[in-house]
Amino acid sequence: MAGLRLENLRKKFGAIEIIKGVDLDISDGEFVVFVGPSGCGKSTLLRMIAGLEDITAGDLFIDGARCNEMEPRERGIAMVFQSYALYPHLSVFDNMSFGLTLDRRPKAEIEARVREAARILKLEELLHRRPAQLSGGQRQRVAIGRAIVRKPSVFLFDEPLSNLDAALRMDMRMEIARLHKELGATMIYVTHDQVEAMTLADKIVVLDGGKVQQVGAPIELYKKPANRFVAGFIGSPKMNFLDVTVTRVADGSAQVESPSVAPVAVQASGFAAGDRAVLGVRPQALRDGGATALGSIKGHVSLVERLGHETIVSLDTASGERALAAIPQDATYEPGSAVTFGFDPGAAHLFAA
Amino acid sequence: MRSGRILVVAGKAVAVAALLTWSLVPIAFVVMSSVKPGQEIFAVPTVYAFEPTLEHYAELWRRWGQFFDGLIDSAIITAGATALAIIASTCAGYVYSRNSSRFLNASVMFLIVVRLIPPIVVTLPLFPLVNIMGLNDTHIVLMVLYATFFVSLGTVLMRTFIDQIPRELDEAAQIDGAGRLTILRRVIVPLAAPGILAVAVFVVVFAWNEFLFAFVFTATKAKTAPLVISEMIGSIDGVDWGILFAASTTQLAPILIFVVLMNRYLVAGLTAGATKG
Ligand SMILES: Nc1ncnc2c1ncn2[C@@H]1O[C@H](COP(=O)(O)OP(=O)(O)OP(=O)(O)O)[C@@H](O)[C@H]1O
Ligand SMILES: [Mg+2]
Repeated sequence: MAGLRLENLRKKFGAIEIIKGVDLDISDGEFVVFVGPSGCGKSTLLRMIAGLEDITAGDLFIDGARCNEMEPRERGIAMVFQSYALYPHLSVFDNMSFGLTLDRRPKAEIEARVREAARILKLEELLHRRPAQLSGGQRQRVAIGRAIVRKPSVFLFDEPLSNLDAALRMDMRMEIARLHKELGATMIYVTHDQVEAMTLADKIVVLDGGKVQQVGAPIELYKKPANRFVAGFIGSPKMNFLDVTVTRVADGSAQVESPSVAPVAVQASGFAAGDRAVLGVRPQALRDGGATALGSIKGHVSLVERLGHETIVSLDTASGERALAAIPQDATYEPGSAVTFGFDPGAAHLFAA
Repeated sequence: MRSGRILVVAGKAVAVAALLTWSLVPIAFVVMSSVKPGQEIFAVPTVYAFEPTLEHYAELWRRWGQFFDGLIDSAIITAGATALAIIASTCAGYVYSRNSSRFLNASVMFLIVVRLIPPIVVTLPLFPLVNIMGLNDTHIVLMVLYATFFVSLGTVLMRTFIDQIPRELDEAAQIDGAGRLTILRRVIVPLAAPGILAVAVFVVVFAWNEFLFAFVFTATKAKTAPLVISEMIGSIDGVDWGILFAASTTQLAPILIFVVLMNRYLVAGLTAGATKG
């Protein structure tokens, strides 16, 4: 078992810097998820930890030892690839035992470890098959099995479920959560699926443009996003952002307004009267009937999506912006009609423009 | 429409028949003649109904023992050349497939260009060198020469095959603790086996039949079978055609069997990359 420390880690491909100084502490046994938009460098960072990409600058410590120059096999890691990367010419058993055979482990030990992994992953019946004779989900389990048998202290997953259909993805997600509990190993998991990130992670690392935007527990990121990027990235549907003007500041709060947002005081610091700012309100925070609430947004209904348990209302505001409201019940709205949605100022966020 | 299709089918049939005649008749003639009684071989009109005989083979065995020594030399040289060419092409193909740099890209072009130069032009100047190294009339010199001729083609072919093996397999093996050579041996070679066999077919056919370089570089100790056959033609007491055809048939048989067995892979080799976008 091992913790990791990344210190000012950087990666350049040619002249282009892709990872621009990442600092991160991962404790032993933690489940850490890297999320971020496509191309932000999640895979690159993971591959640097794995030893598949050279580290341009900075230091990587695994279990206290600096391992920038170590071979992958010396790092005590195992990796599960998005494409599974099973050896097509080998049976499931041989795929899982490949690393142990290279290590020249005794036959009995190899056999025992593979059987154990097969039991955990319910692969016992399939050990003699070739990867081509397996379903997608089974292949993914073999790929995970190949990682397990090596008893690594750190598991690395690069979007392991993205090739599976929705139902299977949910099963495998729960399986991975169970595995984490059972093995107690440190796991680093790359995904751009929010649900995977929110449900699996002890700690989420949000990356954008090769930089860490925020690190924290899933709920912390949801409730207290450090910046506009994180606020927009975590949560679905996306948080509404409305341009506002600061009209008054008090200790720890700022009053803002715009043609479509009635004057409201929200928690904020570092703003001055007259500043332009961006007000962030989650669709789920909006409630029908602005009259009784402290904050309110006015607009015209442009689109209504009735899902049964929920109604998503799209709003064109007076200042020409678009906002979404997620009403937690079935409701009817007339497109084109004027509406006002209220919100609790405590649930609103203010970001620099 | 219907008659058009019939025409197409008939056209194809004629083409195939022509091709078969073109390539098979000489072989059939040689093989048939090797079992014809001596005086009937060149009889006009051609005799089709004859009493098959092995007398030429017996005679070949009795009078041309060195032909069978030649077969053994040919086999040794062919095996050696093939092994060398395969090892070199696979290693080089792997490097070309997995690495890229300006130098590597340029050198592929060079590999292809160098293959267009008539081999004899580059090779003959080597004669004194081979002599100095004491390699004249050895198996090694022909093994190396034959292998060299196919390393460029083999490398390009192997690169195409290895390009089709996903890089993640290399990376997975790397994580599993494999070094480059282990990856090559345990992952790449098994998956590129069809390519390796295709290269092998090229080299085997060439090395087994080659005459010119064998003639230049060997004399007695590494004399290959084609050289002995040529001696039969130039024999002072007149050509015994029956023996000659028996020798030709014996020389032809193993290669024919080999190519037929490997046919599947040969086709795969010739069309490799054809379906890769
Ligand atoms: N070998 C390479 N050479 C040059 N550029 C590369 C290389 N590998 C990745 N990149 C670039 O680095 C950036 C980050 O790539 P990376 O694969 O880490 O993104 P990602 O966050 O995993 O995206 P996705 O969610 O699409 O998988 C991309 O802009 C990519 O083009
Ligand atoms: Mg990626």
